[in-house]
Amino acid sequence: MSVLLEARRLEKQYRLGGGRVLHAVSDVSLQVHRGEALALVGESGCGKSSLGRTLIGLTHPTSGEVLFDGQRISGLSDRALRPWRARMQMVFQDSSAAFNPRRTVGESLAEPLRIHGRKNIRARVDDLLDQVGLARSVADRYPHEFSGGQRQRLNIARALVLGPDLLVADEPVSALDVSVQAQIVNLFRDLRASLGVACVFISHDLSVVRQMADRIAVMYLGSIVEEGDGLEVLDRPAHPYTKALLDAVPRPDRPLPPPLKGDVPSPVNPPSGCRFHTRCPIAQPKCATDRPSLQPCGTGRRVACHYPLVA
Amino acid sequence: MGADSLLDIQNLKLDLPDGRRLLEGVSFQVQAGEALGVVGESGSGKSLTAMSVMGLLPGLRASGQIVFAGQDLVGLPDKSMRKLRGAGIAMIFQDPMTAFLPVRSIGAQIDEQIRLHQPLSRREARARTVQLLGRMGVPDPVMAAKRYPHQLSGGLRQRAMIAMALSCSPDLLIADEPTTALDVTVQAQILTLLREIRDEGAGVMLITHDMGVVAQACTHVAVMYSGLVVERGPVRDVLDRPLHPYTQALLAAIPPLEGPRPERLPTIPGQPPTPENRPSGCVFAPRCSFVRPDCAVRPALIETEEGRRVACVLYAA
Repeated sequence: MSVLLEARRLEKQYRLGGGRVLHAVSDVSLQVHRGEALALVGESGCGKSSLGRTLIGLTHPTSGEVLFDGQRISGLSDRALRPWRARMQMVFQDSSAAFNPRRTVGESLAEPLRIHGRKNIRARVDDLLDQVGLARSVADRYPHEFSGGQRQRLNIARALVLGPDLLVADEPVSALDVSVQAQIVNLFRDLRASLGVACVFISHDLSVVRQMADRIAVMYLGSIVEEGDGLEVLDRPAHPYTKALLDAVPRPDRPLPPPLKGDVPSPVNPPSGCRFHTRCPIAQPKCATDRPSLQPCGTGRRVACHYPLVA
Repeated sequence: MGADSLLDIQNLKLDLPDGRRLLEGVSFQVQAGEALGVVGESGSGKSLTAMSVMGLLPGLRASGQIVFAGQDLVGLPDKSMRKLRGAGIAMIFQDPMTAFLPVRSIGAQIDEQIRLHQPLSRREARARTVQLLGRMGVPDPVMAAKRYPHQLSGGLRQRAMIAMALSCSPDLLIADEPTTALDVTVQAQILTLLREIRDEGAGVMLITHDMGVVAQACTHVAVMYSGLVVERGPVRDVLDRPLHPYTQALLAAIPPLEGPRPERLPTIPGQPPTPENRPSGCVFAPRCSFVRPDCAVRPALIETEEGRRVACVLYAA
């Protein structure tokens, strides 16, 4: 599989005033292959949304670069980025905020086609609605007339309008009820099979991620701590943080193990050494001073830990 | 049945002023020392049931019975209800940010609640507040009590709210999606806390849409759909052997966290009915794969075995 999107040593910092700097994304390098589904997982504030938005140029990285199809897109002006926008799209979490409430969904879906000078607009909109499993007649209705699940289908259709190679979906199913969630999870699977579109899913729900993604990158305080094949990472976690996340998911078949202590430290003052060492159950003195880098661990897996749980 | 239940809800119906019926007859019990999980999808009526128990739905007409510690709360005068809230029954909400007043420290808000129900001095109340916060695992509780809601993390805010709810040692704690907005590691801490509260003898009613949370924190479960309880029983039994087709479908739709990864997830076709379109027969019939002619008559919630009830014609005698 060829590389579609590559991030090299990406940093995203926000100045907070008073000389304080929030490190949202620090030193992230990753690749997304054509047609692949990669999931970014982690707790709130770990930088997964910041990373997702930086990957498709919605925010500019502080340093590092993003390459799309081999071309550097980070640092381009908004105008220069415009042709690339058609090839990478975002599916936002709140589907009701993603549509103009005063326009029919057909009008909203047609607008990008018009801006990009495409032909046969009505046929394309019909096509899209077929693809996301909605009747063609819904094009004449307004966003408020739809249920949450239908609106998320429209939200996905909106992202697919221009035929992108890459979708970045920020918590695409977390606001949905379980039965509707299952429908949308299946829809993503169908769309990936029929269109070959690559996806970056941003999610905090490990069971959803396991179902949707080929590969998983686990983030903690702005950095990737473990990355690899989805089933492998979740079935045999190598990083103690990945294991702690999995342990914390309530399941019918076992009591909850003792939870992780404390809260995620502030990204304004991240801990020294391994950023997880303040909460890590197996931390050693070395972890407080030396920051571990992402190292290969088994086949196609990388882990940033001095004492990984699997060799 | 239920004479000695801490909370006994019988055939609770709730109507809008325009006549639309939001709850169609909810029945369940909560015993002291037990935790009942109330599960169901958005709009199934789980929060409305909780709000009815708290008497927080002034515009709606409730009928049926809500018996708490021997007293029927339906139609109870506001004054008596106010005495009960906080002291007898306390509630915690999904979003602690909006449940606290933003302009007063959380300590002041917990002190206030304590002093409303107990004749304590400010100093005594604060001591109790600090003790409660400490018990909830809030680090440096003396300092934390002086902080304003926005200065605390989501997990700490939720602990502070639980501390406030427990400040008058209620017999029943109602928790409406208390961990939905929290990360899993923080959720695990809160669930452990709820378990301790139950072990100390309080009854807990936990509203959630997450079956994992129910499995972890509850002893019993009631499954709601379209304003009705369609199944209830001990947690282990219901999760291991769901009887109602809706419970079965709901559990099947959750992607597994281990074992083989299914090609596609089983889904439930269609959508839940709105109150005005609720079928007169079984409310789940239009989406049910086992539907048959006798589903046109609303099935009663019948007992299939000790402590287990289901409303489905498949189990009718």
